[in-house]
Amino acid sequence: MFAATAVFLLLFPAIFTLPFPQHIMIMIFLYATLAQSWNLIGGYAGQVSLGHAVYFGAGAYTSSLLLMKWGLSPWLGMLAGAGLAAGLSLIIGYPCFRLAGHYFAIATIAIGEIAQISMVNWKGGGGAVGLYLPILDESFTNFEFHSTKVPYYYIALGITAIVFLVTYLIEKSWLGFYFRAIKGDLDASRALGINVPKYKSIALAISAFFTAVAGTFYAQYILFIDPESVLPLMLSILICLVAILGGVASVWGPFLGSVVLVSLSEYTRTYLGGGGKAIDLMIYGGLIVLIARFQPEGLMGMLKKFR
Amino acid sequence: MALLQVNDLTKRFGGLVACDRVSVEIQEGEIIGLIGPNGAGKTTLFNCIAGFYPPNAGRVTFAGQDITSLPPDRVCQLGIARTFQVVKIFKDMTVLENLMVGGFVRSLNTRKVHQEAMETLNFTGLTEKRDMLGGSLTIADKKRLEIARSLMTKPRLLMLDEAMAGLTQKETQDALELIHKLHEQKITLFLVEHVMEVIMPISHRVVVLEYGKKIAEDVPEKVSNNEEVIKAYLGDKYHASRRAH
Amino acid sequence: MILPPVLQKRTSMFTSEIILQTLISGLLMGCLYALVAVGLCLIWGLMEIVNFAHGQFMMLSMFLAFWMYTLFGLDPLLSLPLGAVLLFLLGIATYFFIIKGILYTTFLAQIFATFGLGIFLHSMAQFLWTANYRSIQNPLLAGRIAAGQIFVGFPQLAAAIMSVIGFVFLYWFINKTEIGLALQAASEDREAASLMGINSNRIFAIGWGIGSACVGVAGVLLANFFYIFPEVGFTFGLIAYVAVALGGFGSIPGSFIAGVVIGLVEAFGGLLIDPAFKYLSVYVLYLAVVFIRPQGLWGRY
Repeated sequence: MFAATAVFLLLFPAIFTLPFPQHIMIMIFLYATLAQSWNLIGGYAGQVSLGHAVYFGAGAYTSSLLLMKWGLSPWLGMLAGAGLAAGLSLIIGYPCFRLAGHYFAIATIAIGEIAQISMVNWKGGGGAVGLYLPILDESFTNFEFHSTKVPYYYIALGITAIVFLVTYLIEKSWLGFYFRAIKGDLDASRALGINVPKYKSIALAISAFFTAVAGTFYAQYILFIDPESVLPLMLSILICLVAILGGVASVWGPFLGSVVLVSLSEYTRTYLGGGGKAIDLMIYGGLIVLIARFQPEGLMGMLKKFR
Repeated sequence: MALLQVNDLTKRFGGLVACDRVSVEIQEGEIIGLIGPNGAGKTTLFNCIAGFYPPNAGRVTFAGQDITSLPPDRVCQLGIARTFQVVKIFKDMTVLENLMVGGFVRSLNTRKVHQEAMETLNFTGLTEKRDMLGGSLTIADKKRLEIARSLMTKPRLLMLDEAMAGLTQKETQDALELIHKLHEQKITLFLVEHVMEVIMPISHRVVVLEYGKKIAEDVPEKVSNNEEVIKAYLGDKYHASRRAH
Repeated sequence: MILPPVLQKRTSMFTSEIILQTLISGLLMGCLYALVAVGLCLIWGLMEIVNFAHGQFMMLSMFLAFWMYTLFGLDPLLSLPLGAVLLFLLGIATYFFIIKGILYTTFLAQIFATFGLGIFLHSMAQFLWTANYRSIQNPLLAGRIAAGQIFVGFPQLAAAIMSVIGFVFLYWFINKTEIGLALQAASEDREAASLMGINSNRIFAIGWGIGSACVGVAGVLLANFFYIFPEVGFTFGLIAYVAVALGGFGSIPGSFIAGVVIGLVEAFGGLLIDPAFKYLSVYVLYLAVVFIRPQGLWGRY
């Protein structure tokens, strides 16, 4: 099953040669990566972050600004952005992890909003207008391709594969067990020798790292970023939604969730036209309620029942 | 040198003194019972020793090391494990996974911990249930799971908080057997209990708390005939029965 | 004290009138925030569920007032009881159709059940009525009261007064009536309460009803002087959660006071720093408080 999917994904651009389906897949990979990254801290470790867009934005803005101001290669910028995001997450996590459930969730929202408002008002970073990345010659080094989406496709596939592999390895290792223990019961975890703040921070840092990597990819793909596109609360919510829809604390959940969500989004946009913007959100909203009410374990949970 | 030494431990919550200058000494290999009416401060004492609450005054020494202000995870690493009055198992993880969580404090190698978990499952009689979700167990099995899980941390001292509460006769017997096995493994035991028929026969000594103060500490027979203790329990008619250790 | 240039320029413009004006605006708006927050807190206190659709409920109430006015010429004052009743029913319906089923599921599922509802209502409003800003042109409550250099909008004043009345009534209700005490009992210990004959389902539904009615009242009051548009739910909802968290989940008076504080911080934040930053100061305040005191100012947990 897995092998078949892998082969299909590898051959996809050869089968579907038009840019549109390739774009769809790229979006699926993007959301799958974001949801999987969130999954580490939100799904496995149970710390519901509703402000994850801040790391996405950190990645996008860091690599873009480094590129525009100092001509730094986007690949190095990607690492820099990811590192910055991880560092940011440690700073954010330290005070926030002491907060219980709802307080923590709201704190993450507050931080996300502060980030967005700040970037809107920071002229040096483009402000509300945003940043237009310089159009460079198409090349792998420049991380820009104009005549075809295929390289973007494979880069996105690669990033997604890496994130999924990392998640798989973590799940099988002591880290995965510790994350799930923390989600299960804090006191029991501490009594079993788990330094809870340390492991929460580890989960968040890894999560932030990969979220930022996705941010840089997005910047290099769209070649335009602004606070509205990389830092809004709605993005943070969508990231969680994809993870929940697919099934938290599972390796394949985020991919399933992403497939459904992106397909749904495209369908409503294509077939329901202008008013479609609101309709697709209505469907999202309804879907979230249904999942939460009837199938909290998401699609993976449903699949397990049919085994 | 005593394995665990508690000196004048005091813990206040606002105006309430939950533990009032409590001192206890436990030698390696002993089974010490901790009894007292509800609200006497037994669980608070456990929480202070295990590092969940920082005491307001007093000292806790374990194997010669001052552990008074250490957090729970450090206390566990040093060799004290504890279970909880309201059992806290990982509901969404299997029995085997629950145990493995405990094992990682001694080794990060998943395969090794997995094997140790299988052995511990065998030791505690939980092998058939290893793939069941923690949340689906009976209360007796949950308590057994909690004990098994703390065994994975290879403790020198195991503190059990009301391990027999809510168990049937048969389940209590099984639990007692497990406790005997633990004792045979040279694990020091500190047990909070309400079920007198259980704790009196197996303990070397019994400590009695009331309103945060230690009112008696002696061999079970003497404790059960102690006037203060009887008064504290008011109407508890229990006479110690002798049983060879 | 050496202030950064941004602040220096501002403080030179401050007169006592401006400060007083800001203080009053902040207080009045704060009372309205407080009413919204109290409704949210009631629901939380009862069953530890945050209604993330709370803001959208208010938005619906605002639209109700708007359409009653536009289609039937009904003044918002008269729509007030209508808003309260309809939102009360909406709260009860939400409980029975959605909340009842998620009471015992995961934390994540609970957050997203109401969050999803919020997104749904928001986009439904956008779909039905577009994102355009509406307003009620000539409500009964209109005009300004002047006291020297200070202007106080009459609708804002009325809204604030009614919010305070609403809060006092709610507080009396919770503490002095049978149903109110039943609510308190159920929030302390569901099982014990049911042993006393309190039907937890009915009580929870009533809690949802009352909490939503609060927001129904607030919405109609707000419609007198605020723009009416789908997005408004998000803003007020967010402020409500921050207020409840700031006051400490579980404390109704705490939520009220926190709501007023937020109104003040928002007003002064806009004055001292930049109107664009007025919400920023609210979020910073929230973080500052919970980092120092994780359970909020008056929280139980």
